[in-house]
Amino acid sequence: MIKEICVPKLGAKMEQAVLVSWNKGVGDCVEEGEALFEVETDKVVSEIEAEASGRLSKILVQEGEEVLPGRVVAEIEVAD
Amino acid sequence: MSKDNIQNNIQSESQKDRPGEDKIFPTKATFKRKPAWLRVNLNPEKTRDVVELMDRLNLHTVCREARCPNMGECYERHTATFMILGAHCTRNCRFCDVSHGKPEAVDEKEPQHLAEAAKALGLWHVVVTSVDRDDLPDGGAAQFARVIRALHSTLPEASVEVLIPDFRGSEEALMTVLEAGPQVLNHNVETVKELYSRVQPSANYEVTLQLLRRARDYAEAQKAAHPETERMVIKTGMMLGLGETDEEIKVLFQDLVAAGTDVLTLGQYLRPSEEQLPVERYVSPEDFARYREMALEAGFAYVAASPLVRSSYHAEEALEAVRAREGKKGPEA
Repeated sequence: MIKEICVPKLGAKMEQAVLVSWNKGVGDCVEEGEALFEVETDKVVSEIEAEASGRLSKILVQEGEEVLPGRVVAEIEVAD
Repeated sequence: MSKDNIQNNIQSESQKDRPGEDKIFPTKATFKRKPAWLRVNLNPEKTRDVVELMDRLNLHTVCREARCPNMGECYERHTATFMILGAHCTRNCRFCDVSHGKPEAVDEKEPQHLAEAAKALGLWHVVVTSVDRDDLPDGGAAQFARVIRALHSTLPEASVEVLIPDFRGSEEALMTVLEAGPQVLNHNVETVKELYSRVQPSANYEVTLQLLRRARDYAEAQKAAHPETERMVIKTGMMLGLGETDEEIKVLFQDLVAAGTDVLTLGQYLRPSEEQLPVERYVSPEDFARYREMALEAGFAYVAASPLVRSSYHAEEALEAVRAREGKKGPEA
């Protein structure tokens, strides 16, 4: 089953951010709770943790790209 | 399982640079790069139930409205700082990104909804703040009092902490809040006297100190009248990184202690957006520890100081520490 990984909607307003780095590559196994990617805003760098365990099957947004909350950045094949 | 082409696999050495280092991206965003210690963890799934609960009960949190960097951690621990009286502020402090615009009508269901949310979250220390409501005759003080009473009624075992505005120096408004009996009265000094006009032009340093002094005097009087109760704790918070000097900070600490403040929180100012003041310096964790020592020497009972500390971060710890200290001192002679 494919799970979409999104930039979390945190603030009350849409906040521009940059996806600054991926901690995992395509094909890597991912454990729930592991830091998956980092997003930087004006304020702070947030390490976004994986919500599920599985295999990172697709990366849709490259390092350095601007993202808005809700943007799908990757897909994880969730272990059944 | 199809193999993705090499371009999609970006686990290369150059891309493992830590955020503290300079890295230029070909994008329009030109963020000032953050020091390596300014990073937070976030698990979206664990924060989602708090976000959804707040939305369902039409409640705001300053966590979301001001985009606090600790939101992930606090929501995961089921703590949150409620923000009452709407999400639109009548002032324009130069460090804050809370919305402006037409303030909402006071929601008479808010106290009960807030108490419900606090109960659903299993909170035993509830922190409540607000936007400034200079448009209301009492500045919102009566709503604070209603919320405090609703919380005490619904969660009799919980302690309540309120982070209040200055009510434009109105003693009557302050008394309205104090008489509702919060366990902690917090009002942020935000910065040193010398930076007030630049950082929060709508506020006044002397009014801030006077508010803290009045609150402490009230707390002492209540304790004297009811010695079996715990004294209300007086708290304030400030940001570093707006251009303050060590000498100015020292004087501020002395003024705050003289005004009767028990607890100080010190955190790094983080610029929410280009509309707010720039960060003048990033203070290292080691320097935060130094300021903490300076503050304790000035006479604060409890100091929380590190880059991501905010007024209500781990707030219950400050209350416990002050109570433990008061307990050791015993009844006043």
